[in-house]
Amino acid sequence: MAIHNPGRRLMHHVPLKFVAKRVSGGSHRDINASLSLTSMIDFLVVTVVFLLISFNASGESPTAKNVKLPEAENTLDMIDAPMVAIAGSQILVDGTPSGNTRAIEDSNRLQRIDELFNILKSKREVWKQLHPGKDFPGVVVLQIDQDVKAVVVKSVFQTAAFSGYPNVSFMVNNLPRSSGGGGG
Amino acid sequence: MIPMIDLLMVTISFLLITAVWTHMARINADAQVPGPPREVEPDKVEPEKTLHVEMRSPDKFVLIWKQSGTVISTIDVPRKDNLQVKDGKKSIRFPELAQKIESEWKTVGQHKEASDKKLDQAVLHTDNETAYVYLIGVIDAIYQARRPYTIAGKQEQVPAFNVTFAVN
Repeated sequence: MAIHNPGRRLMHHVPLKFVAKRVSGGSHRDINASLSLTSMIDFLVVTVVFLLISFNASGESPTAKNVKLPEAENTLDMIDAPMVAIAGSQILVDGTPSGNTRAIEDSNRLQRIDELFNILKSKREVWKQLHPGKDFPGVVVLQIDQDVKAVVVKSVFQTAAFSGYPNVSFMVNNLPRSSGGGGG
Repeated sequence: MIPMIDLLMVTISFLLITAVWTHMARINADAQVPGPPREVEPDKVEPEKTLHVEMRSPDKFVLIWKQSGTVISTIDVPRKDNLQVKDGKKSIRFPELAQKIESEWKTVGQHKEASDKKLDQAVLHTDNETAYVYLIGVIDAIYQARRPYTIAGKQEQVPAFNVTFAVN
């Protein structure tokens, strides 16, 4: 095979004039496009400022599927605590199935949910073993669908209280306050 | 110039990765359950006035001030359920109830000073059929009343009431 001088080879076999013109660098527009540094830095700074303003240090709380939370104005920031979700008729503690509300709905009577009680109690004992000598905060967050009946809310609330979690927080979607003040 | 662009890029990446696009919050309610037995019985203190908010009737709320089981006063507040639904999310506000609770607290409430660490107590009672969204609407209305509160020399506005959810 013959040895050729080094040089541009790409697309040279294409028998079209405009292709030959472009690959030989004869086009009007430069192949290396320049970028305006000032505009790019402006864009980056605006993006950083926007993201910093919308930054939330308390993090994201996962919401269970099929749970539509109600909205409230006078709210507090989320905290790290066991999350009890009621999705349909299923009760989940930190995503783990922990009982069912069907019996409460059918009887329409307040009752203790034994499975939930046992799981919350064991979580409390684990916390006490991990933090010896510290006061147990007893906080649990309830993630309940907006249409759930009060008898189910009361049953879960009472079960949580009797298992050692008397400070209950209801998870809601935050609405901006209509008049003055910040979150409670 | 290049280190500055690098810094901006890294900052944007960090903020995008940790960004939270949904704004979840919580609303507090506690349960009054008996605690463990104490070795030393506490001194007897005078029972405080407590505001009981009853939402059992579809056309009115009943505000009852009680002191150790004795009814001090009863006020009826007309109930107007203005339920709003947006993208499947329901929200309900009770502005008349919030105003009445605030005016009641201003006249009967016992803990108003910024240096006072205790809050007045409100107890919410409801029937078994009420939907959860209405409970949140009423708790939100109770938390509307606010008072100054001094924490570590800094004054903040906090809810005037601490809400207890009655399960009976």
